[in-house]
Amino acid sequence: MDAAGRPAVVIDNGTGYTKMGFAGNVEPCFIVPTVVAVNESFLGQTANQSKGGLSAFHSAGVMADLDFFIGEEALARTHANAYTLSYPIRHGQIENWDTMERFWQQCIFNYLRCDPEDHYFLLTESPLTAPENREYMGEIMFETFNVPGLYIATQAVLALAAGYTTSKLEMTGVVVDAGDGMTHVVPVADGYVIGSSIKSIPVAGRDLSIFVQQLMRERGERVPPEDSLDVARRVKEAYCYTCADIVKEFGKHDKEPSKYIKQWTGFNSKTGAPFSCDVGYERFLAPEVFFSPEIYSSDFTVPLPEVVDKCIQSAPIDTRRALYKNIVLSGGSTMFKDFQRRLQRDIKKLVDARSLASETRSGGDLKSQAVEVNVVGHPMQRFAVWFGGSLLASTPDFYNACHTKAEYEEYGSSICRLNPVFKGMY
Amino acid sequence: MILLEGPSRVLQQVLHTRVKNMEKPAEVDFHLVEFDDVRYHIQASAKDPQHVLLSIALPPPPPETVFSGGLPFGAMEAVNATYGPLIQVLDPPEAGFHLTIRLDLTKLAGTEVDHMQQMTKVASLRTIVLGAPLREILKHLASRTVAPDADNLVALLHRPRQSYFLIPQAEKVTVVFPMRYKDSNDVVLATSFLQEFMEARRSAGLSTAPPCLWSPSPPLELKGAPAHALDANSGFVSFVIFPRHVEPDKLERIVWNLSTFYAYVSYHIKCSKAFMHTRMRRRVENLIQALNRAKPDVEKKKKTAQGRSFKRLI
Repeated sequence: MDAAGRPAVVIDNGTGYTKMGFAGNVEPCFIVPTVVAVNESFLGQTANQSKGGLSAFHSAGVMADLDFFIGEEALARTHANAYTLSYPIRHGQIENWDTMERFWQQCIFNYLRCDPEDHYFLLTESPLTAPENREYMGEIMFETFNVPGLYIATQAVLALAAGYTTSKLEMTGVVVDAGDGMTHVVPVADGYVIGSSIKSIPVAGRDLSIFVQQLMRERGERVPPEDSLDVARRVKEAYCYTCADIVKEFGKHDKEPSKYIKQWTGFNSKTGAPFSCDVGYERFLAPEVFFSPEIYSSDFTVPLPEVVDKCIQSAPIDTRRALYKNIVLSGGSTMFKDFQRRLQRDIKKLVDARSLASETRSGGDLKSQAVEVNVVGHPMQRFAVWFGGSLLASTPDFYNACHTKAEYEEYGSSICRLNPVFKGMY
Repeated sequence: MILLEGPSRVLQQVLHTRVKNMEKPAEVDFHLVEFDDVRYHIQASAKDPQHVLLSIALPPPPPETVFSGGLPFGAMEAVNATYGPLIQVLDPPEAGFHLTIRLDLTKLAGTEVDHMQQMTKVASLRTIVLGAPLREILKHLASRTVAPDADNLVALLHRPRQSYFLIPQAEKVTVVFPMRYKDSNDVVLATSFLQEFMEARRSAGLSTAPPCLWSPSPPLELKGAPAHALDANSGFVSFVIFPRHVEPDKLERIVWNLSTFYAYVSYHIKCSKAFMHTRMRRRVENLIQALNRAKPDVEKKKKTAQGRSFKRLI
């Protein structure tokens, strides 16, 4: 059977989590943290130091090469001395290619358990990735894994495609992608990313976790210090929500603490002793960081709705109305309850204020048509990018759009720079 | 990870979460492909928490192997014997697949740990089905007999339209794998890897492992084999299995390791390429460092009118 007859493998490498699976499925097979635990105890030595001479040194090196873990298994080895954790992706960009290559190797052989020579691959990249990185990605895929075909898609475009099931496939829209490492606001017109208007915000899931951790520490909750970030992350995922008005929300919490204050119980990861702590204001303060970033950092103070608005205003004028109409959420950090409603309300407020101002400036003779603002969320928001990839990779056009191994051998890795939009996308 | 694991990881995860959350089951529908073109389809609905449907499709067999009803010889009996009342084989199987079983989770017995073990066993369905004829021959070896109806050269399905060969005897079984790789670099790596494999067997620590032999031309044992099975570009590997290797506790492992030998070698080829790249990157970094150190220091200190020096920011 030809490789095009088998489902493609879709791997979405995010800063926090990697989503992987086969195209055509609704859910990814695995969602694992993007982390590798490598055994580097070997690295410091030289051949003279080791006991058994050169051959023992060599075989120790070989064994250390195979001795690594990814995902949850890696995190479980945080406290083991021989292993060091390495996060290959930082702020959406692959920084450590050694560990990334190993990460893919485990994804393919240990998790998905498929032969990479048999499947086409769809990988994703952040909108700000340099073309050189894309080339390198292609080099690894074609040289190491001998994949028959590869397509590298922009995460934002896939997130738009994921909306296919909920409405008519609309390839024009703004994607608000808030993951673990970085938040991007990416305008896409007819499947093409408008590169000059991409805005990114240095506030994302990990910052929210740190903020929760900070709040809990300041209040003096009895959380073991070595687990506090992990507890903060879990608290964030379980209890946080977006509020409509922060002052009113404080009032509500103070009036009825029993209703709003939650309890968190956990176990100390080292001693196993149980502990419990209260979860209070951080429930709504953490997501609030997106809307009033000044409560978290003094370096960056532009709220997310304003960033989205600015992004659309900088896009070509004929696309703006369509962009306002389709603002798509993707990524784990947009999963807070009512996040979508709050974002829509705030953007609408900005847009209405502007059109009112221009009307008064013209003296009231010019009436503009109201701008429709629509923020779209959907059930698969957490892995929207992966789902979009799965959807696109199951169309027959995908196989034609892929760069094949023959092309790679003919032209070299530069072919991976460009990944054209294909017909299945709209 | 040095050896590939027996049970399929996805199936294992799906089944384990299913058994753990019996009260609030989720909709499950996965199409999967594993090494050597084995396809799975696992399906379970939220309404019917007790049942799970699992289908498996095998790669197209080469003509020299014995297949009955799309399955290797003796597979159906092996499935029934392994899982017993836990499953029901559906006839006919799902369209496009060769075997469909329906798991009945109410029939799970024992503690939760037992449940998990049983589910792990279900996830190893591939070994049970594809390894059935091999297991049969090795069982005969354990009792030092040869099945009365056995040929002296048995071909078994290994990869799509490719087979490996067994020569069963009362005292030993010889297993021969013709190795074929598509990529020319892979062929080179595979040949040296397999030669290394043969060398490693000679070292003192591995003296009880099955003897292993690699040769670029077909070994004499394959005299009766069809011609198309003998064009292997990476040579032939043969293992000699003795009764001590097939004791009951080792049997399952040896069946799995032999029936996925190609995937194992291919995994290690890919690994070694990655490790070579790692070393190349490290070397380049070192060289760049050396170059940077050799750069002459061009920066000169400038003086202002007051005679103070300042560093120029580029």
